[in-house]
Amino acid sequence: MLARILYIEDEQEIGRWVTMNLTELGHHVIWLRSGEEAEGHLAHCDLVILDVMLPGLDGFSIGKRIKKEQPDLPILMLSARTAIEDKVEGLSFADDYLTKPFHPDELAARVEVLLRRFNKNDEILKLKHLTIHTKDMRIINHETGEEILLTGKQYQIFQYFLRHLNQILTKEQLYEGVWGEPYMEGDKTLMVHIRYLREKLEKDPKNPEIIETIRGIGYRVRK
Amino acid sequence: MKRGKRLRSLTAKYMSIILTALFFINFLIIGTSLLVFHVYDHKDAETLQIEKAWHKDARSLQNPGSEDINRMFAKWQNRYPQARLFWVDNKGRLAAGRNLAADIPKHWNAAYTANFIKARYDNDPFTVIAFPQNDASYGFIVFEIERKLLQPAFTEVNTDFMYFIVPAGIVLFVTVSYLFFLGIRKRLLYLQHAMEIRDVDGLPVPITVRKQDEIGQLEMAFNQMVEELRESRKREEAEEQLRKELIANLSHDLRTPLTKIRAHAYTLGKEALTPAARQAVDSIEQSVSKMDRLIENLMAYTLLNAKKLKYEPALTDVVRLARSFIAAWYPVFEKEGFFIDVQLEDLAQRHWNVDPLWMERIFDNLFQNVIRHAKDGKYIGLKTEKTDSYDALAVLDRGKGFQHKSSEKGAGVGLAIVDLMVKKMGLDWKIESSETGTIIKIIHYR
Repeated sequence: MLARILYIEDEQEIGRWVTMNLTELGHHVIWLRSGEEAEGHLAHCDLVILDVMLPGLDGFSIGKRIKKEQPDLPILMLSARTAIEDKVEGLSFADDYLTKPFHPDELAARVEVLLRRFNKNDEILKLKHLTIHTKDMRIINHETGEEILLTGKQYQIFQYFLRHLNQILTKEQLYEGVWGEPYMEGDKTLMVHIRYLREKLEKDPKNPEIIETIRGIGYRVRK
Repeated sequence: MKRGKRLRSLTAKYMSIILTALFFINFLIIGTSLLVFHVYDHKDAETLQIEKAWHKDARSLQNPGSEDINRMFAKWQNRYPQARLFWVDNKGRLAAGRNLAADIPKHWNAAYTANFIKARYDNDPFTVIAFPQNDASYGFIVFEIERKLLQPAFTEVNTDFMYFIVPAGIVLFVTVSYLFFLGIRKRLLYLQHAMEIRDVDGLPVPITVRKQDEIGQLEMAFNQMVEELRESRKREEAEEQLRKELIANLSHDLRTPLTKIRAHAYTLGKEALTPAARQAVDSIEQSVSKMDRLIENLMAYTLLNAKKLKYEPALTDVVRLARSFIAAWYPVFEKEGFFIDVQLEDLAQRHWNVDPLWMERIFDNLFQNVIRHAKDGKYIGLKTEKTDSYDALAVLDRGKGFQHKSSEKGAGVGLAIVDLMVKKMGLDWKIESSETGTIIKIIHYR
């Protein structure tokens, strides 16, 4: 079992289908037709998937209430409402917003990203020659058996990459995500840190395999 | 208009100033005259006193002969040394006299007497003629004196006041009038200023009505107008909300069955299928994606055309924005095997006043079009361009160009949205399309 997911959806066919797909991926899904009984399940959940248009209390209200009570519980809104206003309102409390008709692979990918971001999975991640225990961030070169130790900043940068696995991060996004201050055009700080990080992680820092350079855009760590 | 209101009106105030001024001017003239000219009581005028006394003395002569009359003359000469006194007796002879002028004849006939009286009547010298004991048989006695030797009827005193009070009065009146109009002007300016203030929603703000006069009524009328404007804006917003809600619901209602179609196609796709069935499932899958895009674009286009799409421009670093857009699309192009050529350099002005969400929509539509219509070129470029007159972001592909009929139609709405959004944000755009590819530039003129 990967994760326990609370799924609130009133539409029978869609509900059955999503439940089936997520179950096939190894998740345990609790599917509710309305938000009324959600309360009792929250304590045992790793993630909540919420529809917006629900009988009784709507998805936005339920989501806001859940987030207030359990800020550490990731919420993914899954809705056929695509207006920008709806997305903006949804993302004011939810951690992701996916619109219908979605592809099940995309839903699975987003669920995975959220679980990783909230450290809900004690995942053992294998990236090329590296084995990473995501919960305590132990990085081991399984070819040599050595543990790789990172400095504070390197650790933060690499963790940021792992939280956004497979995503392309622009240098601005990465800098601001790690340093928490606006990126100044032409600043070389990030580049220097990435170089040191590569020297520790990569087999051949000249031809990096772990931290890819995406020319003109930024970097990516891919599973 | 109620009585109270009428009293508080500017007209009433203005009339009261005018009336006060008129009254004040009269008062000023009279008051000044009283202060400047000392007027003696008419009863006390010296001429009258002389007249009375002369008649009285003449009446009270005991024995109107030469002796008595000379005594009386002596007494009067004491008081008025320069007066001329004489007696003409009943025979017309000049019987006695003091200070006599040379032209006084010795004998008076009736004609001369009449002429004399006529000449002296109310004239200078001041002349009083009396009959001793009120009896004409004694002849008549005459008192003559130059009027300038007597006390005048009035004298000028305090003449300095003349030069001070009248100008001061005029200055006071002008000042009061000026202050009155200054007050009106100040309030009109305040009103104008208050009318120009706008609330966060762009509507004017009601004014505090401080007085009940004509300007106060103007302020109240203005407030009423503001109220009506707010009401109308509220109605408009409610309609806008209803319209948005309708479109959102419609979109939702269309997408729900679409999701089910995809769900069923996906489930079906996992079964063991014949190649023809597999192709049908893929086709359903593609049609769902296409429908999804069409609904999205149609909704956006409808809202955009009705000017109901939320628009919040802000100074935005577009180079950075463009980089984040291509980052999001990178996996899609990568999956399709595209060569991704990103060359985002600095611009002369990299901060444009645009809505980032609109920019995202524009680039989504452009990238979408490249995936759908220019797949064959296997190339996507995103570049900055800097010329003397403009900065631009360019999306390049190596597809067969716009003239070539793409297998997938329906780019129209997507580009129509790009067009509407670009123009609304004060930008321009240009398409250069040929057989070897298309360049679309989003242009920001300096």
